[in-house]
Amino acid sequence: MTWIDFPLYGSIIGILWIIGLLFLVISYKKQAVLKIANLLFITGWAVLLLFVIKLWLELDRPPMRTLGETRLWYATFLPLIGFVTYIRWKYKWFLAYSIGMATMFLAINYLNPETYSKTLMPALQSPWFIPHVLVYLFSYAVLAASSIVAIKGWYDSYKQKFNIETLKLADNLVYIGFAFLTLGLLFGALWAKEAWGHYWTWDPKEVWAFLTWMGYLIYIHYRNFHIHKTKQALTILAMAFVVLLVCWFGVNYLPVANTSVHTYTNY
Amino acid sequence: MSDDNFKIQRNLWENPWGYVESFFIGFGLIITGLFLEVFSSSKNAFTISYPYNVFFLVGYMLLLFMLFKWFSNTQLIRWLTKVPASISSIALVTFMVMIMGIIPQVTSQNNLINNLGLNHITSNWAFLLILFQFLTCLGLISIKRILQFKWSNFGFILNHVGLFLTLIAGILGTGDLQRLSLNVYEGKPNWIATDLNGQEVELPFAFYLKDFLIDEYNPKLALVDNKTGSISHNDGKNLYLVEKGETYYFHNFEVKINEFFPNSGRFGKRYEPVNEIGSPPSASISVKNTKTDSVQNAWISSGSFRYPYESFKISEDYSVVMTIPEVKKFSSDIDILTKEGERISTILEVNKPYKYKGWKIYQLSYDEKMGKWSNLSVLELVKDPWLPLIYTGIFMMIAGAIYMFWMGNKITKNN
Repeated sequence: MTWIDFPLYGSIIGILWIIGLLFLVISYKKQAVLKIANLLFITGWAVLLLFVIKLWLELDRPPMRTLGETRLWYATFLPLIGFVTYIRWKYKWFLAYSIGMATMFLAINYLNPETYSKTLMPALQSPWFIPHVLVYLFSYAVLAASSIVAIKGWYDSYKQKFNIETLKLADNLVYIGFAFLTLGLLFGALWAKEAWGHYWTWDPKEVWAFLTWMGYLIYIHYRNFHIHKTKQALTILAMAFVVLLVCWFGVNYLPVANTSVHTYTNY
Repeated sequence: MSDDNFKIQRNLWENPWGYVESFFIGFGLIITGLFLEVFSSSKNAFTISYPYNVFFLVGYMLLLFMLFKWFSNTQLIRWLTKVPASISSIALVTFMVMIMGIIPQVTSQNNLINNLGLNHITSNWAFLLILFQFLTCLGLISIKRILQFKWSNFGFILNHVGLFLTLIAGILGTGDLQRLSLNVYEGKPNWIATDLNGQEVELPFAFYLKDFLIDEYNPKLALVDNKTGSISHNDGKNLYLVEKGETYYFHNFEVKINEFFPNSGRFGKRYEPVNEIGSPPSASISVKNTKTDSVQNAWISSGSFRYPYESFKISEDYSVVMTIPEVKKFSSDIDILTKEGERISTILEVNKPYKYKGWKIYQLSYDEKMGKWSNLSVLELVKDPWLPLIYTGIFMMIAGAIYMFWMGNKITKNN
């Protein structure tokens, strides 16, 4: 079992998941269909797990060294996080979101065969790499969703038909996203201690990650104590997302960028 | 708490203090701090080390307890345990950190930045003062919830006490943190390290480097623009690894790699594998222009510190070059020698530090000019006695985050 078999396995998984997603959409009209969707997701996931295990046995080392292998782990764990979140919070679209992202990573692997990107600098070769990036990935996705909800909230209040349920949904997403954001930040600190000798060095990416964390912290505290000031809460949420975007993409363009250890050109 | 429901006309500084007063105090602290930066003569960072940081920690905790126990009815303490003080201090700490995220933290050409100390925020008085208010709020509110002895406060306490411990131990621990670097050459024991200020430090044990090893990836193939000299393919990302037998395509050129030697030397018109210091990698390539069907053969090499590189000009506009191989892994096979005559063997590698007598020993670097022929290994030794406290805080916050994910927020739950 090597990467040569990946197109076959990848396509099977992709097809199962895409059909599953279609059933999930239908299940909004007909609830019973959701079971079929779940079955397809789980079957696809089992096939993926089989591929990962066989690849691992074949390589005789954890498949964690190349970028393609890293993406394979994202694709493996995203549905798992999606399922746990779904079981707890019952957002169906959440499941779709994580399966969709996982499918995307499989597609990237399919389109970029292994020969393209095999190199990974020594500091990145760590068991922390995947959990650190994975929880951030998920957190950003959830927080992005909360911002979409915030935009809806703005639009609704502009139209004078704001519903408090919108903000409650945003709250819940922020809580889930913030929990993962905290995990990502702390996993990063623990990893940094192993790799660079210190858990926190105020590297520009760390600074902006901290700012993102603080931004959502303000939102959470504000919402907790000023339940009825919805407009202000929505504004804070929007600003926090801007900080998140700076952290994600913008840091490389700031005057502080050249001192960062996080400016890898390719992920 | 000031909510929309009861908007009462009140004057500034009238009880209870709200957001205006909170930001007033916060900005007051920041301005005081900036004045201190401008007028204080000492340019050294403010740090306290053992035992004074322990005294400070114990004293601070006792003070917080006493303030909460006996003075919680005073204006100041009531304000500090309420939301406006928390939110304003979170916002102002965020503001100060944002400055750090924008202004590079090195000596600036702008005198205003230098004088206000905006290029060393972490030791800036303004930042320290506002952080102190933040910590005081966090500490008092933690004490308040702990003393309520309620299970429903479980997640709250994990998150707040965790953050408090991590921050306070991180700040106070700076004074006791030792980071030394040590150069060790193959075959020569060394016990003299240097600290961050370039001072020599004698260690009670020595390091002996038996072997320094580097694994490299194969070099990569790149298409270079002859005029600009820059890589003109895939933006320099995801270049092709040079491997024997592979064929790659650039524009209308088909590049086939006939032969690859990781260590080689030039003999007349071709390269042959050799094993000597500084022998660079090389490859024999055939380039076919698919428009004209003409084929050219050449040898290319990335060169090394001893030999020049060789590229191949395939047209007026482009050349094919071999990049310098990237490092896959580097490690040091070392012995630690103690004064008692003990000899401990271990292998140091990036991401795999070794613990010895309260020190963590890291593989830091090597002679980068020499690359894989380096006989120098740079080690880093770190001693951070406050780490257990910081890790306690971090793991509390991890548990708190999981709790938070599972429980959600109280607003949603109450409805």
